[in-house]
Amino acid sequence: MYYYSIDMEQHLSLPSSDEEVVRTTLKDPNQYGLLMERYEAKLQRYIARLGVRVHDDQLDVLQEIFIKAYRNLNSFDSSFSFSSWIYRIAHNEAISWFRKKNVRPEGHLVGDSDELLSFLSTKEDALDVGFDKDINAEEVGRALLLIDEKYREPIILRFFEHKEYDEISDILQIPMGSVGTLLHRGKKQLAGVLNKDKLRI
Amino acid sequence: METQTPQEAQKTLRSSVYDRIECEKICPHSRLFFLTQEYFIWAVWISSIFIGALAVAVSLFVLKYKQYAFYEATHENFSTFVIEALPYLWIAIFGLMAFVAVYNIRHTKHGYRYPLWQILGSSMVLSLAGGVALQTFGFGYSVDHLLGQQMRMYGSQEKMEEKLWQNPHEGRLIGRMLHQSTVPTSTIIFTDDVGDRWHVDVSELSIDERDLLEAEKTVRLIGQISEKDIKLFHSCGAFPWTTDKPMSRENMQAAREAFVMKVQTYKERAEKIAMPQEEASDQYEESESPCGTIAPVRRMQKKSIADINGND
Repeated sequence: MYYYSIDMEQHLSLPSSDEEVVRTTLKDPNQYGLLMERYEAKLQRYIARLGVRVHDDQLDVLQEIFIKAYRNLNSFDSSFSFSSWIYRIAHNEAISWFRKKNVRPEGHLVGDSDELLSFLSTKEDALDVGFDKDINAEEVGRALLLIDEKYREPIILRFFEHKEYDEISDILQIPMGSVGTLLHRGKKQLAGVLNKDKLRI
Repeated sequence: METQTPQEAQKTLRSSVYDRIECEKICPHSRLFFLTQEYFIWAVWISSIFIGALAVAVSLFVLKYKQYAFYEATHENFSTFVIEALPYLWIAIFGLMAFVAVYNIRHTKHGYRYPLWQILGSSMVLSLAGGVALQTFGFGYSVDHLLGQQMRMYGSQEKMEEKLWQNPHEGRLIGRMLHQSTVPTSTIIFTDDVGDRWHVDVSELSIDERDLLEAEKTVRLIGQISEKDIKLFHSCGAFPWTTDKPMSRENMQAAREAFVMKVQTYKERAEKIAMPQEEASDQYEESESPCGTIAPVRRMQKKSIADINGND
């Protein structure tokens, strides 16, 4: 019999790191709820950004992600972060969902993308884009649809999920060097397609 | 008793996941399952490197084994010889194994972290180094020979060379001397690679070449079938037949020099015969020999003409 909620007592006695929770889940499946609790919202946001827009579809995909993660818990290698590992599963499940439904990602939910332009305007990539930080989410979403698919996900992971390069490398399973290249080119392309007139400045 | 709010009544994601785990009796796959997968991938990678190394070893053997020394006897020119000498099958196998190695490394836990050129480069270098090492210990020949014996379809170097040299109409014959013919004394009875018997005229062979024939070992002959008797082969040169190993560079060079000298002699003789009488400065008269028209002589003549035209 599984318990569907985690009470305060359990919370207090539970290990803190994800890796420890994985270890204890393998002994006691009831602990899995804690991992779900930690990642439910993050992953829901992530798959929404990838293009799964309908709430019920998001729940279906999330369920598949957590079932798959549970089945493969023993394949989790502690040399990776659990977050990257489960994001990888989420990435794969989102792609499978698109394939199964035979649809393409429909727009991108970029509600909290106000950091993107500050990233775009950083000097590290020599892109001097002088936009205000208060940008129009809709316009960024539209612009994201216009850039090449290969650049879209690294940009989402970097600027909306705030992942480090090594994490993006682990999630997308590409070399770190390629992450840098994709981000650089993606930012350039994104800066090119962003309609400055439509941005709220 | 507390009443449930509609939100609480709604099945949460977590509860639906737990329900499925319970209903479908889902359990985490065992660690052994994933370890087996990982080891399998590594095993395939090691195998691909090893097969790649064998491909390199056989390719090296083939390239060394190819009878460069006699290429004018077997091929129209050096380009056609090189094109035919390349071990395409083994090069393709090497390429395929490099692809398999890259694919497998990419599918290991950390494989995606390395750029393609690093994975491809390291796999190829390992196969090349392994191939050189295997060839040093004679594995190239062993694999080629074994496959030639076990598989009818596989053209081992031995089979290819035999096929190449067992072509009397092109002026090449491979086999061994059965016995000396009684009359005339310059003719021997020779059995070729497919068991046919030939009268071979050895009058133009050197003493060393006759000794080679008399040793009753397999030899290859260059010459021409007689126009009068289709079972008479006029021999213009005899060379040893080595099948068990590639020739060393020194031996190959010596064989090449001997072959070129021999063909050159026939060529010069043929040129003298072709000259108008008044231009021929030599005191003696050259008798017309079938060796002046054999394929390697014609090819050398063609090459000389091309060289002269090129220099002009």
